[in-house]
Amino acid sequence: MVRLRGAAVLAAAALALSACGSGGDSGTPSPAGTEPRVLKLWHYETADSAMGKAWAEAIKKFEASHPNVTVKFEEKGFEQIQKTASMVLNSDEAPDIMEYNKGNATAGLLSKQGLLADLSEEAAKRGWDKLLPGGLQTTAKYDDRGVMGSGKWFGVPNYGEFVMVYYNKDLFEKHKVEVPATFEEFTAALDTFVKAGVTPIANAGAEYPAQQIFYQLALTKAQKPWLEAFQSYKGKVDFRGPEFTYGADTFADWVKKGYIAKNSAGLKAEDMGVAFMNGKFPIMISGSWWYGRFASEIKNFEWGHFLFPGATMSPGSSGNLWVVPEKSENKDLAYDFIDITMSKEIQNLLGNSGGVPVAADPAAITDAKSKELIESFNKLTSADGLAFYPDWPAPGYYDVMVAGVQELINGSKTSAEVLDGLAGPYEDNLADLGN
Amino acid sequence: MRVRTRGYWLYLIPSILLFLAVIVVPFLMNVGASFTRWSGVGTPRWIGFDNYTRLLTDERFWESFQHNVGLIVAMAVVPTMIGLVLAASLFDYIGKRFGTRTASALRAMYYLPQVLPVAVAGVVWGWMLHPSYGAVNQIFGLDLDWLGDPDLALATVMGVMVWFQLGYPVVIFMAGLQRVDPSYYEAAEIDGASWWRKFWHITIPQIRPEIFVVLLTCTIAALKVFGPIFVLTRGGPGNATMVPSYFSYLNFFQKSNVGYGSAIATVLALIIVVVTFLFLRVQERES
Repeated sequence: MVRLRGAAVLAAAALALSACGSGGDSGTPSPAGTEPRVLKLWHYETADSAMGKAWAEAIKKFEASHPNVTVKFEEKGFEQIQKTASMVLNSDEAPDIMEYNKGNATAGLLSKQGLLADLSEEAAKRGWDKLLPGGLQTTAKYDDRGVMGSGKWFGVPNYGEFVMVYYNKDLFEKHKVEVPATFEEFTAALDTFVKAGVTPIANAGAEYPAQQIFYQLALTKAQKPWLEAFQSYKGKVDFRGPEFTYGADTFADWVKKGYIAKNSAGLKAEDMGVAFMNGKFPIMISGSWWYGRFASEIKNFEWGHFLFPGATMSPGSSGNLWVVPEKSENKDLAYDFIDITMSKEIQNLLGNSGGVPVAADPAAITDAKSKELIESFNKLTSADGLAFYPDWPAPGYYDVMVAGVQELINGSKTSAEVLDGLAGPYEDNLADLGN
Repeated sequence: MRVRTRGYWLYLIPSILLFLAVIVVPFLMNVGASFTRWSGVGTPRWIGFDNYTRLLTDERFWESFQHNVGLIVAMAVVPTMIGLVLAASLFDYIGKRFGTRTASALRAMYYLPQVLPVAVAGVVWGWMLHPSYGAVNQIFGLDLDWLGDPDLALATVMGVMVWFQLGYPVVIFMAGLQRVDPSYYEAAEIDGASWWRKFWHITIPQIRPEIFVVLLTCTIAALKVFGPIFVLTRGGPGNATMVPSYFSYLNFFQKSNVGYGSAIATVLALIIVVVTFLFLRVQERES
């Protein structure tokens, strides 16, 4: 029965991937004339990450198919682009193509400011719209208010990402803990570790991890309309309602029970990842962006992952976007480059390097760990379970979330006070929407 | 005489142009932006004093100024006090007993944190203060979350800033001590004055101008402190270490709320100008 179900999941994954991959190689890049030209490209993926490897190969492939074009690649920092994008894109120093964070407060804001080229025509002409399943298109399209989900294409994502539960198989075995299938089994497992004197969940309150755990807990009580209200403003969000209240109360409770360390408020994501890689924690709840690194760096124990038990939705979305600045003078080249990143060759490389491709050839994903990851992603997307991230709804909300969750970790404010603190900036942004 | 003075005005033109281009115009543009609602791109919308009235009721802004008071203590008051004692000890005791080279070497060591890029110093302190593997907890056998506990975070940042700032007053005060007439000390010694009495009645009054300069520049540095907060705590946990310059930065770059960010920056600049003016007035009166 288990084998049958496994086979069904694999078949579904294969179908999803083959459906995605049908048009990847259809658009042969045009050589774009014979005059020497330069394509200025910025992205912020590290060279050893799955995306970094795939984009490096894409650049080689692009230069081979465009002999008259030189790619001038500049590696930027995530924060560097995040903080200065609107000013850079409004200047003459803008690149021709750039990786950018997706969501209302980021790509949505730039599209609203008229800084990004409308990619709708290219998406239809080159078949990008067919390569990306509906859920992954959400972050590619933005309306006039900069709200994602509808309107014109302003970016093209070509990988996926989601939050999962990483676990240390050796520590699970040592403490005789089974992989939990339900939320109750999960908390029972956490109790077992606490009783054995082990803090089970690696955490980092000064950056995104803690807020994603809080959001994941809220998602266990959330339904789709709530999500659409929160992320796409399609209804009123009650911050004192059952979803966020459960998220905040349970998070605070987890700290009290010792599931999450009380001294984790000031820690950064890197601290959390390194602690997990050093085998100090049996569990880490975080995103697929760690997957490739864990695969190459964890040598001392076996590890695996599972989707958060008891929730049909998890934080996640398409990956970051390729955006083409409105001021780019080489838009045609930028579109050709995006096309290459969607090709099977690049997508397969991405998949075999620990990333989540959207248009790979299932048969070409030979790495066992990569297959497991892609299966989980397909399981989540087939249930329409990508719930985006808690800091997306408003510009600057990331810091608001960090501050709020730190207060939960420290117990310096009650859950209700923290939720009021989260509601204020959200409501302010709603009042500003479209201005 | 008047004709000759008029001729010198020509030499002032480059400085005046530079001052206008680098200081006055950007400042006026910032003030102008503070009266608008603007995301940094597109056309700003004039909203009058709305950003300023919003500031008046913004608890986070006023809370951030309270943290500034703590940082003035850590960056100006405490380093000045410790720096005075250290400089006098190096000058009077170490220099005379172990030689000026030893005193100079020690002075350079105190100054070392000032030479380090703040990002490097911040990252290293972040490691040392790490609640799990940090050297500070290990050495003292403690289990404190130095930068993550809201009751400790500001005090911890203050401690790091004392370390960071200390070398500056030491160097300035030692330079000041070089110009004090040794006959004052010789006369005091003949009269049998203790080290403390010489320090109190000769050293401090003689290097008062240096003390003013150090207090003024360090107070300004404390009011506009950004780098250490960015590297160590990013204003957290919660808002426990938020300061106005970081709050302004958040509005500028995180929220694309350039108008409000400009209003914060304008108020901060005005406060710094007022503080400087008051310092200079007091110094003028003293001299």
